Amino acid sequence: MTTTFPWLSTIIMLPLAAALFIPVIPDKDGRTVRWYALGVGLADFALSLYALWKHYDFSEAGYQLSESVTWLPQLGVNWSLAIDGLSMPLVVLTGLVTTLSILAGWQVKEKPRLFYFLMLVMYSAQIGVFCAQDLIQFFLIWELELVPVYLLIAIWGGPKRRYAATKFILYTAGASIFILIAALAMAFYGGGALTFDLTQLGLKDYSLGFELLMYAGLLIAYGVKLSVFPLHTWLPDAHGEASAPVSMILAGVLLKMGGYALIRMNVEMLPNAHAYFAPVLAVLGVVNIVYGALASFAQRNLKRRMAYSSISHMGFVLLGIASFTDLGMSGAMLQMVSHGLIASVMFFLAGVTYDRIHTLNMDEMGGLGKKMPSTFALFTIASMASLALPGMSGFVGELMVFLGFANSEIYSTSFKTIIVFLAAVGLIITPMYLLSMLREMFYGKEGKAVEGQVFLDMKPRELFIAASLMLPIIGIGFYPKLITQTYDATAVQIAQNARMVLPTIASNNSPLIRVSMAPNINDTVIVK
Amino acid sequence: MDFATLLSQLNTGAIVPEGIVIATILFVMVSDLIVGRTRSARFTPYVAIAGLLSAVVALYTTQWNIENPIAFFGEFNSDALSVAFRGIIALSSVATILMSVRYVEQSGTPVSEFISILLTATLGGMFLSGANELVMIFVSLETLSISSYLLTGYTKRDPRSNEAALKYLLIGASSAAIFLYGSSLLYGLSGGKTELGAIAAAMKDANLGSSIGIVIALVFAIAGIAFKIAAVPFHQWTPDVYEGSPTPVVAFLSVGSKTAGFALAIRLLVTVFPLVDEQWTFVMTALAILSMILGNVVALAQTSMKRLLAYSSIGQAGFIMIGLVIGSDAGYSSMIFYLLGYLFMNLGAFSCVILFSLRTGTDQISEYSGLYQKDPLLTLALSLCLLSLGGIPPLVGFFGKLYIFWAGWQAGAYGLVLLGLVTSVISIYYYIRVVKMMVVKEPQEMSDSVKNYPSTSFDAVGMRPLQVGLISALVATTIAGVLSNPLFTFANAAVAKTPMLHAAKAVATGTKAIAQTPSPKLVSSVLSSNS
Repeated sequence: MTTTFPWLSTIIMLPLAAALFIPVIPDKDGRTVRWYALGVGLADFALSLYALWKHYDFSEAGYQLSESVTWLPQLGVNWSLAIDGLSMPLVVLTGLVTTLSILAGWQVKEKPRLFYFLMLVMYSAQIGVFCAQDLIQFFLIWELELVPVYLLIAIWGGPKRRYAATKFILYTAGASIFILIAALAMAFYGGGALTFDLTQLGLKDYSLGFELLMYAGLLIAYGVKLSVFPLHTWLPDAHGEASAPVSMILAGVLLKMGGYALIRMNVEMLPNAHAYFAPVLAVLGVVNIVYGALASFAQRNLKRRMAYSSISHMGFVLLGIASFTDLGMSGAMLQMVSHGLIASVMFFLAGVTYDRIHTLNMDEMGGLGKKMPSTFALFTIASMASLALPGMSGFVGELMVFLGFANSEIYSTSFKTIIVFLAAVGLIITPMYLLSMLREMFYGKEGKAVEGQVFLDMKPRELFIAASLMLPIIGIGFYPKLITQTYDATAVQIAQNARMVLPTIASNNSPLIRVSMAPNINDTVIVK
Repeated sequence: MDFATLLSQLNTGAIVPEGIVIATILFVMVSDLIVGRTRSARFTPYVAIAGLLSAVVALYTTQWNIENPIAFFGEFNSDALSVAFRGIIALSSVATILMSVRYVEQSGTPVSEFISILLTATLGGMFLSGANELVMIFVSLETLSISSYLLTGYTKRDPRSNEAALKYLLIGASSAAIFLYGSSLLYGLSGGKTELGAIAAAMKDANLGSSIGIVIALVFAIAGIAFKIAAVPFHQWTPDVYEGSPTPVVAFLSVGSKTAGFALAIRLLVTVFPLVDEQWTFVMTALAILSMILGNVVALAQTSMKRLLAYSSIGQAGFIMIGLVIGSDAGYSSMIFYLLGYLFMNLGAFSCVILFSLRTGTDQISEYSGLYQKDPLLTLALSLCLLSLGGIPPLVGFFGKLYIFWAGWQAGAYGLVLLGLVTSVISIYYYIRVVKMMVVKEPQEMSDSVKNYPSTSFDAVGMRPLQVGLISALVATTIAGVLSNPLFTFANAAVAKTPMLHAAKAVATGTKAIAQTPSPKLVSSVLSSNS
């Protein structure tokens, strides 16, 4: 299905173009600007839904809505966009979460123009990352989001916001060097026509050593974004210090950029290296799950606890990517979407609570349940979703990853047993820290910050935001096909392509296999 | 012999743009004498700008497609490469005049004299970009340098300005002497030739190989060039001179003077030293590495905005040198492209620094805190220019760096590209520190200067040009990156149309077979990939 109208460019450029008008909007008290930003957010969200509904074929696995314009022919760089099942759900997620976070930032008093300007720039940059098809263009948009996030954290964040913002920008900018290096190295590899197109680069025949090197570099670049242990240390600071609307975007969308790029580039473009690195990913995934959960348990700051819980949940994405199965890949994608929704609502609710009691220290909370009953109820639902209660989206995602990984034919049984067992341990710690968080916040004796005060419960605006995020969580939980069927074709294809190289690797059984941690690739293939 | 034949024999058409600049200088000086200091100050800046702009137009219309670029019997070469560099120098001078009118007036010194000295420096730089002969190089180099010494000491009541001028003069004079000594060696080695191409040919015929004499001449020549482009370890004068000099002069030194230095570097090294091209790429690689590291690391610790920009310009010179050492077509084009971008963003940043110091009288970085509340336009402009210098997309600096790294990787200079990337991440830290000062600080953290910030009107005398310069630099920095296609085409065409760069390469590959010396590691694959 082709379309001549550049839908994706329009969707990406609309918020950016609209943001340029923010400085000139007549506005005395910051009210017009916020309505304007919200209107733009909604319009763009509606536009993307319309474009997908009308022109996107859910049953097709390949790229759709493609468009490409020569941009810098001297460098071989094009402006090319396209989406497939991998990016489509994330584009919708971005639209939803960013629009809602603009609404969540309704009360921003300080520098409102700058705030909404940066939010709209973020809107464009995030969708751009998911749609870019040219590696240099991808790198450009990836970097574009650095400064807005830096400022959003550094201006509107908590007490340690400047430290957190600087840490964020140095980590991300430092790691993204590897994207540019990989882009240049892959494009110049072996001569031929110079192109940075992702598909073309994926079709090139790299030597194994080169591919492994590229994989390692990109893993660092995207690992920082996805907060893979040990590259995660910026995340608790950034997510913990940012204000609620910014945390929503950080946890809801920005983390997924790492996961998306990992699948898009490492798995799709470098399948041979992926076969060697997959066990490493699985181990890192488990470390993330267990370490994130344990570290979360130790946090006394509400948002830091949630941040570590994000690290823990991202481990499942890694496990799914490493599984080589249709189900595992599909689960990894579902986990990204589901965590995007759950983390956003959790951070939003933390913001709602903070607005009222003005502290994030859980030692000073307690007994809030009676004072803010509907916050309490929503917090409970969100926590249940986060700890993967059946009937919520988190459960489906994690279950699919578990099943996918357990059914993976390439790992030895003992390796799979250990990995699944440890991941399950992480899964048990999750309810422990989330339930203890609920207990400390809402039950028991009234804490220092709560005692003797009266708090307003959630306002309709806040209820609306929480409900808009929870509806899909529960919807996916009850009927996962609602979302999986929109991207399954692509997920299956990615997993298939990743599996395709396994026999060849096994057949030219080089010494590398022994070195790598992939046990018995050889045996299983022979058994088959 | 009548006058017309003389003109056509000398091929004077090649220096029409410089002729326009000379006419402008004369007009400015004479009208200053006739109508007096205060009245001439009202129009000479605009005459000078008009003159420079028409020189730029003349460059493009008469020189870009010139059939015979060699003028004055080989003294001057008006090839496309020189056109690009002369254009950049003239434009940097335009921007400098725009920002200097108010500044010079406020310092209580005559404007017209300042402008005539500045124009002379510009003229020297423009001649230097096309100079093709040792005497011509030295004369234009000294024209540029001596005018620069005068400019640095222009605010003569300010002791720091005097100090800067003296330091600049002493170091500049000794580096000129070293350069001159290198030239005399070349003169001797080539058996009495002064034209660059002839020197190279004579040295090749004399079968000197890479003898110690050539290497010494090379080292001395590089010392002279490195002083102009402020490459480490010839940078020591930069921070002090930048801090003490009048800020518009610093802007010119950091862009115009540097561009001239790079033009000289390309022409001299590529034309005269193909026999020792491995040695010179090695030395320049070392200078590039040192400049990138030292410039960007020392900038982290600066507290004065002018010193910060001084060290940042050292680091930026290091990036540009990557394009020089890789020696490919793309490398040279990336230098031109980067210098064009650098023109906009660095002069934009200097305009902001000048505007801030005009309004508050200070250059301390800490005094910028909380500026967003008082002056959003200045904050926006300075933030964007600094972020562009740091290489943040979608600003022009990002594309400049991208092109340099692209060319570097293409030529196989992986180590240099990696180092460039790492140091540009370091540079983001100190650039964003200034942005943080201005934007992030709370109202109660506002500095005293910002608290007493005057109204942000541009009505005072000489403020309009500053505003025009600021806004055009801001616009160029913002959109020249995304719409950089014409700039790329221009930079590539300038290199493609310059026979010198291609001829030298043929010589280089020819001699390589004879010389058989092992090449330095970082650039080892350059020659093989481009021959």
